[in-house]
Amino acid sequence: MEADALKNNTAENSHTGEIKARSLWADAVRRFKKNKMAVISLIFLLVLAGIGVTTLVIDWATDSSIYDEKVIEQNLMQRFETPSGEHILGLDEFGRDILLRILWGTRYSLFMSIAAVLAAGIFGVMIGAVAGYYGGRVDNVIMRLMDIILSLPYMLLAIAIVAALGPGLVNVLISIAIGYIPEFARITRASVMTIREREFIEAAKAVGASDMTIIFRQILPNAMAPLIVEATMAVAGAILSIAGLSFLGLGIQPPLPEWGAMLTNARGYIRDAWHITVFPGLAILITILALNIIGDGLRDALDPKLKN
Amino acid sequence: MDNILEIKDLVVRYETEDGIVRAVNSVSLELPRGASMGLVGETGAGKTTLAKSVLRLIQWPPGKIAGGNVIYEGEDLTAVSEDGMCKIRGKEISMIFQDPMTALNPVMTVGKQISEAIAAHENVSAEQADEKMRQMLSMVGIDPERAGEYPHQFSGGMKQRVVIAIALACNPRLLIADEPTTALDVTIQAQVLELIKNLRSRLGTSMLLITHDLGVVAQNCEYVAIMYAGEIIEKGPLQDVFKNGKHPYTKGLFASIPKLNEDVDRLKPIEGLMPDPANLPEGCKFHPRCGIAKDICRCQIPEQTEISPGHMVCCHCFGSHKDAWKGE
Repeated sequence: MEADALKNNTAENSHTGEIKARSLWADAVRRFKKNKMAVISLIFLLVLAGIGVTTLVIDWATDSSIYDEKVIEQNLMQRFETPSGEHILGLDEFGRDILLRILWGTRYSLFMSIAAVLAAGIFGVMIGAVAGYYGGRVDNVIMRLMDIILSLPYMLLAIAIVAALGPGLVNVLISIAIGYIPEFARITRASVMTIREREFIEAAKAVGASDMTIIFRQILPNAMAPLIVEATMAVAGAILSIAGLSFLGLGIQPPLPEWGAMLTNARGYIRDAWHITVFPGLAILITILALNIIGDGLRDALDPKLKN
Repeated sequence: MDNILEIKDLVVRYETEDGIVRAVNSVSLELPRGASMGLVGETGAGKTTLAKSVLRLIQWPPGKIAGGNVIYEGEDLTAVSEDGMCKIRGKEISMIFQDPMTALNPVMTVGKQISEAIAAHENVSAEQADEKMRQMLSMVGIDPERAGEYPHQFSGGMKQRVVIAIALACNPRLLIADEPTTALDVTIQAQVLELIKNLRSRLGTSMLLITHDLGVVAQNCEYVAIMYAGEIIEKGPLQDVFKNGKHPYTKGLFASIPKLNEDVDRLKPIEGLMPDPANLPEGCKFHPRCGIAKDICRCQIPEQTEISPGHMVCCHCFGSHKDAWKGE
């Protein structure tokens, strides 16, 4: 009879079996899709990233010949040429095509900031998770270190690090990443501390899960939402920082086509040739706007309180 | 006697800023192999603390096992290393939690949560763990097709089945069920208890069942221990305690249950409230609420007295001071 009851139950369950598994993430995607601006921004960003990858592929296929000839090579006869059919965004102070320079610059502006944020995210999340999970003295030591980094103005810290290590791609990346570690660590720590107290963590302990399993498999997936939002916003910030560092001459060095570096070089000619400052500036502006809109959209989509 | 679990003089304290909370005070308990014991008591009597301290899940700070031993299969669990405990939890001793709504990870599929428990203890490939997981699901009466779903897609009773499946995934020899049916409605309660009973008889698992429902104990346990203010005040075989309960508190508990065959207007409660565990009374913890308390109860902690084989009572009324009650 008991077996029958069980069987009945199984039968009862099975007809609901067609319900598709709907994870937290699937729900979030559904809500994100409703936000038109965010979707447009995301598409824009994906296109930009696609262009960035394409330029890398072109360089690889043509052995950087287009890069050398069009993006780097100077043509002083044609400098300051205004936008035209041939050069849609015009030519800069050394006669280089601005459109091509902006497109080739995505690798420095977009990809480098993503790499920096990824690096900061990985370290920050690990540090924050350990601090939040173990608490007590470990937490105190780690978080005071983070506070020291946070107490320094972000740009000043980046400048100091670059000044110490010398300019260059990797050094800029490191300096940007270090500045973002504390923020990730703080957010992770806060989420971990609340999730740590939930009963399913105790349940996981009761079936013999180790600390590492609990942190990485049980807690972190639950702490992802605020981190993803933070990461999007941080990429926007990192683009600005790289541009800022390059503007100060500490970041990407000429003649590499980084957007901020393009601005610096163009600054001197702003009265005579508007287009060479406006277009790189617009590129930075639109990309950051898109990232911020995506970040807002993600925050709304991942907030379970707004469930509808 | 062959006991799978022996708790000896266990003391657990929570050291908070407001003082020391004495949650479990020198509790001794023996659970024979294959048997099931009900641990009954009011909210706040220390039942859950006692259960968690068996698995050493009390979090420090503020909680701490301040004394005593927990002997499982001849091994003292209070002295085992943290790594050693990880191997025992889930594999040897498992726990079912009170609220299935919160005991499952919301961002992991239920199948994954079960197979993780299997992978943690058994040296099996991912496919084997998956296979075992499906077996466990059908064993608790859930269609294995639903393994890929998330906890929020399950009803409360089904979540509790999943929790049970996780707890039994590695065939533990001792199961601690902490009010497994409190969060469920009555029909589901019966199903879940039936399920635990069936699985237990199939796997030969011993069980410590924590509850405040005496009916549940009557149906599921061979032994019963009554807990009050962090102490076991009466314990013994089910029949002895239920039919022949001696402690005034036990009597009060049974007197407060409505009877089917009598027409009663008002239930008979035990007057008063349980003492604050941070500020326990001297002597017998029950004396402020006890109808037959004498002077001795206010100053001296009663000792255990065996009144029939295995049936122990902690009351001066039966101990060496029983003369004081003569003639009443």
